[in-house]
Amino acid sequence: MRRATLDLWLGLLFTSLSVALLRQIAAPSVRPVPLADPPNAEFPAPAMSADKVASYEIHATFDADQHRIAGREVIRFVNASRAPVSELWFHLYLNAFKNDKTLFLRSPFGAGRSGDKARAYGYVDVKKLTLVGEEANDLWTARDRHSPEDPDDETDIRVPLPTPVEPGATLTLALDFEDQMPEIVERTGYAGSFHFFGQWFPKLARLEPDGKFTHFAFHAQSEFYADFGDYDVQLDVPSGYRVGATGVLAHESESKGRRQLEYRAENVHDFAWTAWDRFESRTERVAGTEVTLLYPPHQERNAEAELASVRFALPHFNRKYGAYPYPTLTVVHPPESAGNAGGMEYPQLITTGGPWYSALGGAHAIDVVTTHELGHQWFYGLLASDEHASPFLDEGFNSYAEADALEAQYGAGSVFDGFGLTVSSTALNRVFSAARAGDEEVGQGAAEFATFRSMGALVYSRTAVALATVERAYGRSRFQRAFGIYTRSFRFKHPTWQDFVASTVGELDAQAVTALRAAFFGRGTVDYLVRDISNASVTPAAGVFDGPNGRENKKPELPNAASQYASRAVIFRHGTLQLPVDIQLGFEDGTKQLRHWDGLGNTYPVDNVGPSRLVSVYVDPEERILIDDDRSNNWVSTQGGSAPRCFDQLLFAVQAAFGALGP
Amino acid sequence: MNYFPQTDGTHAAKRWPASATATVLLWISRTVLSLLVLYPLLQAVKASGMVSGPDADAVLFRPGSLLLLEMFRVGAPALGAALRTALLLSAIAVLTQLLPLSVALDLLLDDGPSLPERFRRALRLFPRFVGLGGVAIAVQAALLLLASLLSAGLKSPLQSGDERLATLAPLFLLVLALVGCGWVGCVLDVARATLVRTEQTFREALVSALICLREEPLAVAAGGFPVAAASAFAYLCCVWLMARLDLAHASPQSLAFSFAAHQGAVLFTIAWRVRWLRQAIALSARSNG
Repeated sequence: MRRATLDLWLGLLFTSLSVALLRQIAAPSVRPVPLADPPNAEFPAPAMSADKVASYEIHATFDADQHRIAGREVIRFVNASRAPVSELWFHLYLNAFKNDKTLFLRSPFGAGRSGDKARAYGYVDVKKLTLVGEEANDLWTARDRHSPEDPDDETDIRVPLPTPVEPGATLTLALDFEDQMPEIVERTGYAGSFHFFGQWFPKLARLEPDGKFTHFAFHAQSEFYADFGDYDVQLDVPSGYRVGATGVLAHESESKGRRQLEYRAENVHDFAWTAWDRFESRTERVAGTEVTLLYPPHQERNAEAELASVRFALPHFNRKYGAYPYPTLTVVHPPESAGNAGGMEYPQLITTGGPWYSALGGAHAIDVVTTHELGHQWFYGLLASDEHASPFLDEGFNSYAEADALEAQYGAGSVFDGFGLTVSSTALNRVFSAARAGDEEVGQGAAEFATFRSMGALVYSRTAVALATVERAYGRSRFQRAFGIYTRSFRFKHPTWQDFVASTVGELDAQAVTALRAAFFGRGTVDYLVRDISNASVTPAAGVFDGPNGRENKKPELPNAASQYASRAVIFRHGTLQLPVDIQLGFEDGTKQLRHWDGLGNTYPVDNVGPSRLVSVYVDPEERILIDDDRSNNWVSTQGGSAPRCFDQLLFAVQAAFGALGP
Repeated sequence: MNYFPQTDGTHAAKRWPASATATVLLWISRTVLSLLVLYPLLQAVKASGMVSGPDADAVLFRPGSLLLLEMFRVGAPALGAALRTALLLSAIAVLTQLLPLSVALDLLLDDGPSLPERFRRALRLFPRFVGLGGVAIAVQAALLLLASLLSAGLKSPLQSGDERLATLAPLFLLVLALVGCGWVGCVLDVARATLVRTEQTFREALVSALICLREEPLAVAAGGFPVAAASAFAYLCCVWLMARLDLAHASPQSLAFSFAAHQGAVLFTIAWRVRWLRQAIALSARSNG
């Protein structure tokens, strides 16, 4: 009995020590090394206001039990193009969840983001569309019944106008609609009493300067594109529900068990909101912005992690890409049962996500998703490029900005830092990028990608890796300055790839832009490799020589008498991307040399004559060419091939496994 | 053969050399068998090409793990095949480890026979050791299956409630099952001790261990606790140490220190196991003479 008691005490002692140690080990071990800030040179001042093409006043009454909305909207449309507009295109994206034959739901699953199918369907019914002042003429009756060339889809609808709208003229429309929200498939809908309303109201497509609309049916891989405007949205919700929304809460009242809330947002191109009767809330002012965090009960740890990310990333992005112009930001952490609503961006509102334990241990999952979605406020929100035609300009550029911010905050452990292991965002992006290198064109439209996985690897990761490569190869401050000019100059302007190229003039070499163009539009790849090393003794020339003094016989010297060696290694470049690269030469006497190759041509012979044999060649030792698709062939060494660290770690791991699971 | 181990301090002092011999024997056998399992994995790492540069495998331990992930990517097919081979070799190694374990128990019993004689005896007992192990694995698998079924059953009732409960309840059940598995392992050790001590049949040894569990449940249950806790502590100490040792830039001396620390930890855990095996022999002797 005494022995058993002793055993129990000993066990408890070691358990306590182990728990204390575990806390130490799970804590981050690395601190970020501050990277050079962008130069203090003046950036162009970003625009203060957008061209307001489509502004909305919406009144919405929310029935939480039936998951329905009864709405009325007034649209103020300005023809900001050069040509008369004789038709309107409406995006009714809630209809993507109407039945299994819609473009969205019939997509081969696995192709969409969540991979889920609908369980309870959702749709939007437009009851009436009139010009204000001409209520008798319902324009909706003249609409096309389905999306162009797709009789099963009703997400992209054309409405002819009785008379064209001349350039500069304004059209005011009134529209009645009813929403039936789906159970959440992706982003919008309900899970229990949690509701998220994205793409919930009939919305005009984007009017281009030539007077044509860029409109498209809602594809499972695609995101959005719309004109800027002002939004005034009045919501009528059950009293017990806490609401978060785009914009500023301008007015709030309560009567008969219902709350009336009025949100106003200026210079935005969408409006989203959420309502749940179990939300917890925190509010904090960060860099002059009022940040409201809505999160499920018992997720205080996640909430704190999200606020910590915003506290770092908001001023970071302000500094790099121009100040966030809105007074509020709402961060929504959906409950685990509504995980598909998480990880999304809307103007002034982002959703994060993850189970309650996400912020435990060394994983930075919460920081990654929060920083990524916050970054979208600039690339999706303020630049507002066409995410359907050029998703890489939003998701890819934002993934680069996200990795940059995370590594500024957490260093090499920006994705994971614990138990002695660090994983960086750059490393993760690189491995996804290399896995799909050259499969498809990065710069193509969202719907053109073979699968969402392919799109994820190429649009998100490969774009970020290509940009990070150019940053590292041509200089961080020059690249970041070009990027900062781009994000400021094209605020509210829906920039294209050509606009990005224009903003790099004077900042980036033509070779860098050519490489980016090839990476994004030419399925460009690169693999630097070196195969072998050769060394030869340098001895005085031997043989028979006829000179002015007659014939001379010179005998060859013995090789071991040589005091000089001629060494050669050849670096090869496979693929189409031409990027400058450093080459480190290692010699037998321990000395090292660094050579630089501009990356032009297919081969680069490295010759050296010196007192010591060349024993190793290492292409890109500073890991600048992240887009190099195979790094296992970047070196040769006559002394390599040993793995003492792996031997030690793996032996210990196997021994420990036998200890735990063996006899 | 009947043996009644003394339980006073004199006996403990006298048995120390045998404990040390048993510890070293178990460490050597575990290390040799681990090397066998390790071989295909190391070859796959080398075949990936990621350690053939001038910095050898130091590049895999750089902050950020860029080249470690690259090794998993380019070496995935070879690493996958090596892992499957290693798992097969592990199964063989686990069976093989029964022999030194039997010899270690024998060493802890008395100083008499020579080592070859003890090995011959271990070979004789080997089928019964395998039988006992099989029964233990079956019971442990049943415990884990039960925990898994209960977790699955709890999933939908818990889904609408507190998210933490939905996650922690299955985890709690798993931990309970693992504790149960540990206890089964302790009973198994008592049965093994009985087998070595008395050379009974496999069934008699099992019954004898169950009688021991009935008579001294706390001693059997608590006996394995310090072994598991001390092992966890030793392994965590190593992880803590490695987290502070910059392996990417470690000198040969640091690497030697790392190796010594790892092996020291393994020896430490084996010493605790040997301490428990001695207790198991004593428990076995007390319960059925």
